[in-house]
Amino acid sequence: MFTLNGIRNTFFCAIAFGIVACATAPMPVEKLAVAKSSIERAEQAQAAQFAQVELASARNKYAAAQAAADKHEADIAARMADQADVDAQLAESTARAKQQEQLVGEMDNSLRDLRNETLRRGNSGAGATTPQPITPSQQ
Amino acid sequence: MKTNPIAIAVATALLALAGCETTPKSNATLEQARAAVQEAEADPNVTKYAPTELDRARKLLINAEGSAKQSGSKVETSSHYAYLATQMAHIATQRAQEQVATARIKAGESERQQILLSARENEANSAVAQARTAQSQAEAARNEAQNAQAQLTQAQAESQRLAAQLEDLQASQTSRGIVLTLQDVLFDTGKAALKSGAERSLDQIAAFLNEHPERRVQIEGFTDSQGTNDYNLELSQSRADAVAMAIIQRGIDAQRVRAMGYGEEYPKASNTNAGSRQLNRRVEIIVSNGEQAIPSRAAAGAP
Repeated sequence: MFTLNGIRNTFFCAIAFGIVACATAPMPVEKLAVAKSSIERAEQAQAAQFAQVELASARNKYAAAQAAADKHEADIAARMADQADVDAQLAESTARAKQQEQLVGEMDNSLRDLRNETLRRGNSGAGATTPQPITPSQQ
Repeated sequence: MKTNPIAIAVATALLALAGCETTPKSNATLEQARAAVQEAEADPNVTKYAPTELDRARKLLINAEGSAKQSGSKVETSSHYAYLATQMAHIATQRAQEQVATARIKAGESERQQILLSARENEANSAVAQARTAQSQAEAARNEAQNAQAQLTQAQAESQRLAAQLEDLQASQTSRGIVLTLQDVLFDTGKAALKSGAERSLDQIAAFLNEHPERRVQIEGFTDSQGTNDYNLELSQSRADAVAMAIIQRGIDAQRVRAMGYGEEYPKASNTNAGSRQLNRRVEIIVSNGEQAIPSRAAAGAP
């Protein structure tokens, strides 16, 4: 009786634990939020233009994570959210790097123009270190 | 064609095996992650600019390796970490590239400033050079004007001084030159020696000749009509010589000085009374106009 009660109690306990475990199996709400904000940052960094593939991957995985969460598949939801997060981060960093490199290219061009311009003016005008006699064009 | 039960069994077994063959796939993902992390580690820009991301990638790779070794763990867990490690390694690379580009932009910006600065300096330098040239030209012009003015002033002063000297000596300008007359009161009667009263006039003449080394001087002696011609000629010559000697003694080159005695010729007045005879007894000092020789009395038609 006592033993039987003990077994029964243990059994109930196990069931109760199982239920509790199932009920509190944490949905990765935080991971989803992190992934979402990473995607938003990527979008702000113009990833739609500069890192289309990575951003699309992040969005798809975020959608998959949400779907898994809806089906209470916590593990899958967590993994998908994590992957969506790194994809979004990669989208953001790629977009930023590409934009900076574009700026470098523009700067190189403008520097070249500036150098040519000063060279041209330096040749037509009086020299820097040795002042030339005044030419008619300067008068 | 008859279906072979053995073939079906083999195919089924193969399919089952293939289904189980998730290990190579996981290995491939892991392999990819290792390569990505290694590549990122090899990039000095990554270690310099994105050490945090590189560190995260390494830890994720360790997780992936750990899950792969753990027999109980699911294959997806290892693959998952491997994927995260790969992406994180790429993120590290991209962040590093962004920082490299940013550094280049910064360097380019300072180069731009440098170029603009030196261009401004060049412009300033050439402006300064132009200003200097203009200034020195203006200065040269001013100096020239000042010199001209000084010369003019000097010439004016000279002519004024000359006029003053002439006035002082009571000389007169004639076609032969400047004529100064020393009256006979400066000599004793019948004597050729100069009295001291003549000295001031002679000093002035000597000073004038000193200042005008190109000018010559001719001294002409005259008497009245009393006495013999020969006596008068000799007396006038002696008196002219005495004046010439006095001038030479005052430092004037003898080459520039000539002395002539004309006796009673070229009288100034009639010789009929004492007053007019006194006018005739005289020594005239003629200073040349410039360098040319003094014309003779006859040629000049002088009185």
